[in-house]
Amino acid sequence: MIRIAICVLALLLAIVFIRFYCILPSSNVHGVNKKNRKLAVFLGSGGHTSEMLALVSSLDFGRYYPRVYIISEGDTLSERKAVLLEAKAARSTSKKTQNPYTFLVIPRARKVHQSLLTTPPTALLSFIKCFYHVTIASSYQDASFADVLILNGPGTCLVLCLAVYLNKFFGLSSPRMVYVESFARVRSLSLSGKLLRYFVDRFIVQWPQLLKDGKRGDCHGWLI
Amino acid sequence: MLAFITVGSTRFDGLIQSVFSTPVLTNFSNKGYTNIVVQCGNSEFPHVHLLAQGEQSFQLEKDGLLIECWKFKPSLQEDYERADLIISHAGSGTIVDVLRMDKPLIVVPNPTLLDNHQEELASALEELGHLRSSTISQLANTIQEFNPSSLTKFPPFDGSRFRNLLDEEMGFI
Repeated sequence: MIRIAICVLALLLAIVFIRFYCILPSSNVHGVNKKNRKLAVFLGSGGHTSEMLALVSSLDFGRYYPRVYIISEGDTLSERKAVLLEAKAARSTSKKTQNPYTFLVIPRARKVHQSLLTTPPTALLSFIKCFYHVTIASSYQDASFADVLILNGPGTCLVLCLAVYLNKFFGLSSPRMVYVESFARVRSLSLSGKLLRYFVDRFIVQWPQLLKDGKRGDCHGWLI
Repeated sequence: MLAFITVGSTRFDGLIQSVFSTPVLTNFSNKGYTNIVVQCGNSEFPHVHLLAQGEQSFQLEKDGLLIECWKFKPSLQEDYERADLIISHAGSGTIVDVLRMDKPLIVVPNPTLLDNHQEELASALEELGHLRSSTISQLANTIQEFNPSSLTKFPPFDGSRFRNLLDEEMGFI
């Protein structure tokens, strides 16, 4: 009996590993035939938000729409900065293009100074909200959550990444994940960077020293 | 001439205390500075009681300099604009904002931060000649020696890098 159980367990593990192996070097680009890509960006507050919005400002909004700005609960400053960026973009587009964008608010996985003991429940709540938007809401609205999700940390973006990865694992529609390490990281990766390096589709750093270990990632100089 | 000292949204007692000290103020004076503007954030320092009773800012004269001090403002853009020298904590947002305006910058990484990657960024940019990195104890010397014309211009924002990267990733190119 135990032997059978072990065999079944081993088989399950093997399937899981094969599944992970198959999705890791994902090369399929979503919606190649579409003329636009739905963009989701995570605004991690403070310096993370400023850098992310600099990246977003460089994009052709005629290609990347609609846009979803994901912010943590209570981060009104990031929301204001994104509204400013959108308003500026709307003014500068000569063509009468639509500039549809929305905000998605998720609870923080862990607040600053929150004790480690109480982190699991808040992280779980945050994950459920992410899972709902990434998987459930998008499936009954018959529209994918996004074609591409850009992340640059901190904490709460891990939860979001996990929700997307779960979709990937089960072969559901999921955005390509692009992680851009902060300009402030010169010689050592951030914790989010270290954790997400092997789970995202593109891992980008802004200082070449960070890739000296020869592991995954690419550097195209300063992006901000 | 005017020097602007900022700690952003953080608290950096050591830097603000040193800015109000006689050696630093004397060297400012020697270099021709007449006005000092200090954005002190939540820092603790001997003059902080002047901000205690709901006051937004205070002014005082010390060692021949006129000092103006306040906690926060929604935007520091104007203060960067009118300053001849900026001294800041080594936060990456402030660094990029100031260098993009082509203003001379001295940064002091906060040694009390646990995960001190500020130090990494400050020394990497100093090696490239874009700014000077100093410490609380060296600040007076750095101000004395600092020569803004020896700095290398910081490159302007190049949006094409990320645009091309993502366009390629998403099948546009």
